[in-house]
Amino acid sequence: MREMIISELSQALHEIARGFAHFLPRLIVMLILAFVGWVIAYVVKAVLRSILRLIKFDKLSENAGASQLLTTAALPSATEVLSRFVFWVTWLGFILLGVRVLGILGLQEQIARFFLFLPRLFVAMFILFFGLLAASFFSRAALLAAVNANVPSPRVLSLALRSIIIVFVLSIVFEELGLAEQTMLVAFGIAFGALMLGLAIAFGMGGRDLAQRFLEKRFVRGKKEENEDELSPL
Amino acid sequence: MPLNRDVLWYKDAIVYQVHVRTFHDSNGDGIGDFPGLEAKLDYLQELGISAIWLMPFFPSPLRDDGYDIADHSAVHSNYGTLEDFRKFLGSAHDRGIRVIIEMVLNHTSDQHPWFQESRSSQHNPRRDWYVWSDTDTRYKGTRIIFLDTETSNWAWDPISKSYYWHRFFSHQPDLNYDNPAVREQMWNVMKFWLEMGVDGFRLDAVPYLVEREGTNCENLPETHEILKELRRKLDEQFPGRMLLAEANQWPADLRPYFGDGDEFHMAFHFPLMPRMFMGLKLEDRKPITEILQQTPEIPPSCQWCLFLRNHDELTLEMVTGMERDYMYDTYAESKTMRLNLGIRRRLAPLLDNDRRRIELMNGMLMSLPGTPIVYYGDEIGMGDNIYLGDRNGVRTPMQWNGGTNGGFSTAAPERLYSPLIQDPVYGYPAVNVLRQKASEHSLLNWMRSIITVRRSTGVFGRGSIEFLYPANHRILAYVRRLGNEAVLVVNNLSSTAQAVELDLRRYKGNIPIEMSGKNMFPRVGDLPYPLTMGPYQFYWFRLRRI
Amino acid sequence: MAEESFLTDDFLRQLINVGEVDILVGLPTHNNAKTVGSIVHTIQSGILRGFPRERAVIVNADGGSRDGTPELVTGVSIDDLRPASNPYALRTLHSISTKYASNPASGVALRTILAAAELLRAKACVVMSPESANIEPEWLSKLLRPIYDDGFDLVTPTYRRHKFEGLLITNLLYPMTRALYGLRIREPYSPEFGFSGRLGSQFLGQNVWNDGTGGAGVELRFTLAAITGKYRICQSFLGEKDHIERRSADLVPVLRQTVGTLFSALEPDFPVWSAVAGSQPAPTTGADREVLLEPLRVNRKRLREMFSTGVAELESVFQSILSPSTLAELQRIARLGEEEFHYPAELWVRTVYEFAASYRKSVISRDHIVQALAPLFRGRVFTFLMENRNASADDVENNIEGLCLEFERLKPYLLQLWKSRE
Repeated sequence: MREMIISELSQALHEIARGFAHFLPRLIVMLILAFVGWVIAYVVKAVLRSILRLIKFDKLSENAGASQLLTTAALPSATEVLSRFVFWVTWLGFILLGVRVLGILGLQEQIARFFLFLPRLFVAMFILFFGLLAASFFSRAALLAAVNANVPSPRVLSLALRSIIIVFVLSIVFEELGLAEQTMLVAFGIAFGALMLGLAIAFGMGGRDLAQRFLEKRFVRGKKEENEDELSPL
Repeated sequence: MPLNRDVLWYKDAIVYQVHVRTFHDSNGDGIGDFPGLEAKLDYLQELGISAIWLMPFFPSPLRDDGYDIADHSAVHSNYGTLEDFRKFLGSAHDRGIRVIIEMVLNHTSDQHPWFQESRSSQHNPRRDWYVWSDTDTRYKGTRIIFLDTETSNWAWDPISKSYYWHRFFSHQPDLNYDNPAVREQMWNVMKFWLEMGVDGFRLDAVPYLVEREGTNCENLPETHEILKELRRKLDEQFPGRMLLAEANQWPADLRPYFGDGDEFHMAFHFPLMPRMFMGLKLEDRKPITEILQQTPEIPPSCQWCLFLRNHDELTLEMVTGMERDYMYDTYAESKTMRLNLGIRRRLAPLLDNDRRRIELMNGMLMSLPGTPIVYYGDEIGMGDNIYLGDRNGVRTPMQWNGGTNGGFSTAAPERLYSPLIQDPVYGYPAVNVLRQKASEHSLLNWMRSIITVRRSTGVFGRGSIEFLYPANHRILAYVRRLGNEAVLVVNNLSSTAQAVELDLRRYKGNIPIEMSGKNMFPRVGDLPYPLTMGPYQFYWFRLRRI
Repeated sequence: MAEESFLTDDFLRQLINVGEVDILVGLPTHNNAKTVGSIVHTIQSGILRGFPRERAVIVNADGGSRDGTPELVTGVSIDDLRPASNPYALRTLHSISTKYASNPASGVALRTILAAAELLRAKACVVMSPESANIEPEWLSKLLRPIYDDGFDLVTPTYRRHKFEGLLITNLLYPMTRALYGLRIREPYSPEFGFSGRLGSQFLGQNVWNDGTGGAGVELRFTLAAITGKYRICQSFLGEKDHIERRSADLVPVLRQTVGTLFSALEPDFPVWSAVAGSQPAPTTGADREVLLEPLRVNRKRLREMFSTGVAELESVFQSILSPSTLAELQRIARLGEEEFHYPAELWVRTVYEFAASYRKSVISRDHIVQALAPLFRGRVFTFLMENRNASADDVENNIEGLCLEFERLKPYLLQLWKSRE
């Protein structure tokens, strides 16, 4: 009995030892991969950071309004954020590679999906960035045009334009990511519809003024010019 | 080479203008004479000219270069005898050269026997051969021509105690053409020379023959009547002889002097000459084409006389004030070069002795419609002496060679009627006939060749002209046509190379053949015909359809 | 390297036919059939009177007119094909025309004119406006004589103008170019100006033509190039300036053409203007400029309203362009009532300098920066109108002079802004 216990025990120990002996090299490989990954990720980060600085990425993101977003979220500069993000993605990639080496069942599949997902993530981020840039540019253009044309409520107009573009961009981003496609479609529909309704009402209300002014200008022009001389700037 | 018998000979002629005094002195008295001129006829024949126009050689006090005639029917003793003249005339005709002489109808010298008689008493039979008046207020509307020397057209005669009329100098009283005896006498004078054999008259100062109150006394119908009568008599008794009018007038005012082909055969085109010089300086054809556009059609038997320079100043009467100022500033910077309303200079100095410009101007002279006149000495590029008074600076002795007196005379230099040109550029050692004959590329030889080309066709003398107006205004281009013959003339008035495109569609299919070298140019097609012209270059192309 | 020429073959052929000239008159047009006929006649009589002996040409650069403007110009050439055209003209006077594009662009028009001037080796050139209804023949001589006779390279005009006309020039362009470039040119941007062939060729060779804007405002660039190139510049009094209709051109495009051009010139010209201190008067021929004082009714209220709205609505934009203190000051005066409203010279100068510096740094789109200046300019105009409401000609002149000195005094501030984020 004792012998049996001992033999079972020793066999179990043996198996554990054997299993461990079997597992240890993989663990070491994984650790090495993780380390190499860290080094590579670090280098990539450094290179990326200097490239971004060189092309004055911060200014671009400032223009896009992304910097403002980061500041409110108490995050570092856009260059920093992007380079850190790339660092983590790269390192994580290597770690996951290592984990796959461990040969743990089930995990394999998840890791494969993660790598398939990576390109789409990048595209989505790309779209998001330039989308924000476009939203900011066009909304400011609208703001300036409205102010200089003396159109009422320029900021509302500009904000509306900005929101439309952002919502539109977000919907594309989510679709690209493949996240909750149905939900997003519905959400976008609702948001867009609401915006349009709001705008329609806003224009309807404000448009009275505008229409009035337009008609005045067109038909009562002569009378107006009698009243005042216009100044030529040059 | 006998004279040809064509009555329109003057249309094809190339006239050489010379004063017998200036050409050659045969007897060593320092003054040129008819035997001397006769001796040089071979030279003129070689040059290729076909007529000589002689300046006045009549007895005269010579206060106006012989235009103040004291005897209409004789030769001034300085220049030889009537017999010498007759001999010269015969020799010229033997060489196929016609002779045109001067005749001053309007006035005489105050030394003329007629005037001496007329002024001797108020009752002399010749009293009304001249225009007399008790006051100097008649014919107020008449301009004074010699502004620099005369203050009135009336002069006081202390002998007969009245005023006499003179349009020119006060020593040149005007004849009274209202008097039939004067008219008869003047025809007799002309008959005298015609019978001797002269081929034509250059009639001086014709617009002024008759005076009428309330007019400007120029170009009056009565004057034309007198001239027409002279022409009628000429045609009846001496067919084939020619009358050339000297009338410094606008072409439209000159037109009546041609009548219906029954007055003058030829007349000088005065306004064209200054405009040729102006067009050259401006590098713009506008002055030339404009004056020719304003030139009226003349009867087919008539002809314009063209000249670059003559014995008078380059007259600027026929230009606007602005044009005159421009001409003065560009051609006569120094005041001593100016006289009356004109510039007293010869061709070569006017053109800075630039051979290309001299050739271009002569090329235009020979190719524009009319009979060209070459002033003696200009064929070798003689210079002038602006320090001799009046117009004497352009009347210096002909330069024959580099020897004593330039070969003009054997007299002592101080005996010459005028000093020769002596300066280093134009002086007779540098510019003379002998030297230029020896050099193949001399101006003289060039003149001979262009005269030969001109005489090779009748199109220049008798053809019509059609201007081409290429958009490049520095190019003066025209086509001369006579029957089937057509000659394209292209002149570059600019000192720089020019590209030009000519619209020659009317002459499509023709081959242009350059007339001096006889080389072919590409055939004319539908497209604008492109030519590249060097500075002051000109081409004469015979357009041939082969 | 085969580069496509911007001159058409047909135009080149016309230039060959014109040949070398002494005087070239450039006339950029676009649908000016109403006025161009009389203007060309005036130009011709100006040439015939002032330069009867010189070789001259009128070069029309047309931006795709549909009303027959080019035909009106070429139809009046003085040449022997039209014998009655002008019996008093000594020379042929060509009037040629080319269509440089199907849309008007003042830069391309000027480039065409400069190219023609260089190819024709013109000694003195002048550009005339196709709209000046009251152009006089003497203007030609006034703009050309200093170049042709006295060796100047650029002649800018001065005019008899109403004190409230050309406010962008008196409140920004004149004082700022004067302070920065050191030369007092009253009309640095004008539709009429004369220049030497030398200057024209030099400017033609500069790389200012391919900025994609069609070269709007290139006339100002031309003036600045003359100053930086150390060319001899003078001013010439022409007379009354008047356009067919006294219309207020849309402010924003005008700002783009002028202020935008000025701001963008500052960067390449930095070595020049940073070394200049103070300013020199430009030699002037003819009368000094004259000022008209008759009363003028202007909608001042609207100006101030647009200023206040602008300051309030564009806050986010101004935050990127202006310094916090300047913005705060602007916001303070924007809240003032009509009576106490005042946009002081110093604040205006600071505003403009900060705009210039931000423009250079492209803190936001450069075009947006220029647009954002419009409401502020309106506020400044309001103050200028109030200050000079009852002012005499001398008072107005003194006020402008004061503003100029302010621009000169604060120039170190601009230099400091310029260097701050380098």
